[in-house]
Amino acid sequence: MFVTMKPHATAAEFEAVVEKIRSLGLTPHPITGTERRVVAVVGHTGGMDPDELFGTLPGVAEALRVSQPFKLVSREVKEEDTVIDVGGVPIGGQAVVVMAGPCSVESEEQVLETARAVKAAGACFLRGGAFKPRTSPYEFQGLREEGLKLLARAREETGLKVVTEVKDTETVELVASYADVLQIGARNMQNYSLLEKVGTLDKPILLKRGLSATIREWLMAAEYIVSKGNHKVALCERGIRTFETATRNTLDINAVPVLKSLTHLPVIVDPSHGIGLRPLVPAVARAGIAAGADGLIIEVHPHPEKALSDGHQSLTPVEFGSLMRQVCVIAGAVGRPVFEPR
Amino acid sequence: MLVVMKPHATPAQIDAVTERIRSLGFTPHAIPGSSRVAIGVTGNKGGIDVDSFADMDGVAEALRVTQPFKLVSREVKEEDTVIEVGGARIGGEAVCIMAGPCSVESEEQIVETARAVKAAGASFLRGGAFKPRTSPYEFQGLAEEGLRLLAVAREVTGLPVVTEVLDAETLPMVADYADVLQIGARNMQNYSLLKQLGALRKPILLKRGPAATIKEWLMAAEYVLAAGNYQVALCERGIRTFETMTRNTLDLNAVPVLKALTHLPVIVDPSHGIGIRAHVGAMARGAVACGADGIIVEVHPQPEKALSDGHQSLTPPQFAELVRQVAVIAGAVGRTV
Repeated sequence: MFVTMKPHATAAEFEAVVEKIRSLGLTPHPITGTERRVVAVVGHTGGMDPDELFGTLPGVAEALRVSQPFKLVSREVKEEDTVIDVGGVPIGGQAVVVMAGPCSVESEEQVLETARAVKAAGACFLRGGAFKPRTSPYEFQGLREEGLKLLARAREETGLKVVTEVKDTETVELVASYADVLQIGARNMQNYSLLEKVGTLDKPILLKRGLSATIREWLMAAEYIVSKGNHKVALCERGIRTFETATRNTLDINAVPVLKSLTHLPVIVDPSHGIGLRPLVPAVARAGIAAGADGLIIEVHPHPEKALSDGHQSLTPVEFGSLMRQVCVIAGAVGRPVFEPR
Repeated sequence: MLVVMKPHATPAQIDAVTERIRSLGFTPHAIPGSSRVAIGVTGNKGGIDVDSFADMDGVAEALRVTQPFKLVSREVKEEDTVIEVGGARIGGEAVCIMAGPCSVESEEQIVETARAVKAAGASFLRGGAFKPRTSPYEFQGLAEEGLRLLAVAREVTGLPVVTEVLDAETLPMVADYADVLQIGARNMQNYSLLKQLGALRKPILLKRGPAATIKEWLMAAEYVLAAGNYQVALCERGIRTFETMTRNTLDLNAVPVLKALTHLPVIVDPSHGIGIRAHVGAMARGAVACGADGIIVEVHPQPEKALSDGHQSLTPPQFAELVRQVAVIAGAVGRTV
């Protein structure tokens, strides 16, 4: 349930509501950024009557149940879009953000060259995996901490923010000490221990959709993180598993407008994994932005044919430059700018 | 196999090649291009001696087509197919917009909708007279009366009519009224029907089956072309997935994939593809942004009273707003509406 305060409710009245929630053995989550103060109530509220408990307290406008199973991520609870500030770069605001970089960090030269190229083309985040969840245990698993160090070097040189995947609870602290945004990969979308752990951090999270997760399951996974106190979560649609074999996955662009209506969290689209075919990545990137996505994450490699992973879907820096120009035009057509790095 | 003629091959040389193909018991399909003619060969069970054609006069090259679909393939015909329908076009530089109710319900409803969608910028009127409803107890359409009403709406507005044909029995009747025959998703692999369409000289809008791969869909189109009707457009309308929040999962990946594999026009149906009125506009924008040649949208003057698909039908003002948004996106990808 959630309690909405009157516009001129005092701080003391607000505190009284918070105290009452605690006294019932429930957890209060004050929602920031709304015009009126709202506090979400998390815990076993079954059988409780919101109006009876809170409706008569001074300063309370209304107390309601949330009709969706996801609460804190729901637009019912927070109407305004969440904007995640990553050291001056906003994810989820008016501007579209573009994240780009190699699937895996392979060498200093590779990641620096890519970082410079994607920055020049207009990206504001550098993506790159140091811990790679590869389908086969015999494939390249990533450079681990060495990879994180190389990402930090690239950040130092270019000023780009770093998005990188964390695979397990054991390495969360290590990865968080280097990353600006922690990515939770598709295979870990329902790794609830990991979700709870990143929920205790003060670090933005990019939560990819599970390969066969419904939108509701995905929002519930985000709810795990937010309910632990970390409200900085962005969702990333990266394609779902279907019967189609002509493409790597089926990019579910339907999910973009559906999510934008159900949740206040930013929505990012990954066309590289979503279609998995290099020449067709720009087309679906355009579709993602036209349908209302807040950003894109794109695989770029200076020499895709030599990439240790995902080369067939990685763009060259030149192709990425062309994609950025197309995306700028589409963003303009839906009334949005593309965020420009300093 | 594909026989590509030299740019200045004479009609006699072309005839000699088609005659030779016929004499071998195969079917020639002449495919005129802007600079030269190509001849597709179908009907061969096994391999053909490609070299024996390559040596004929006027032949530039003879090639095996690597894809299982031949006549619909870009390997066989590089240029986009443009279908002309009484002044309107499907394919080509301009994005075409088809709109109208799911079902034709009454003269007033269809004429009012036709006027509204025309005013908003649609160039085709859609509407079902024969409806393949999931339940046999639901409204099945007005049948021939519905076709007559579509013809009335065409007379009033000048909009060409797109309507579904359900079976071989009603094909001649529907073809009599329709400007474009729609093959619904459930009939995508009704091969008897597809073969009969091949004998017509009427444009076909072939919807994707709910669980058809892109390859199966192109093979279905191939059935129509192989039987002689080259005027086929493909319509992506969402596929069956595990997701329950939307009616179907609109597979926009299919748009650039198809544009690479085939020369046929690609239309997107965002109404069935997402099934939620409030989100049809977003998906229509996405479709045009990734290269679709047109959209087909359900519009009803009073969606809450519609006999079918009301929850995904737009009101005329909502449709007019969609067309404005789509026009901006079309401009952004260098096309017009």
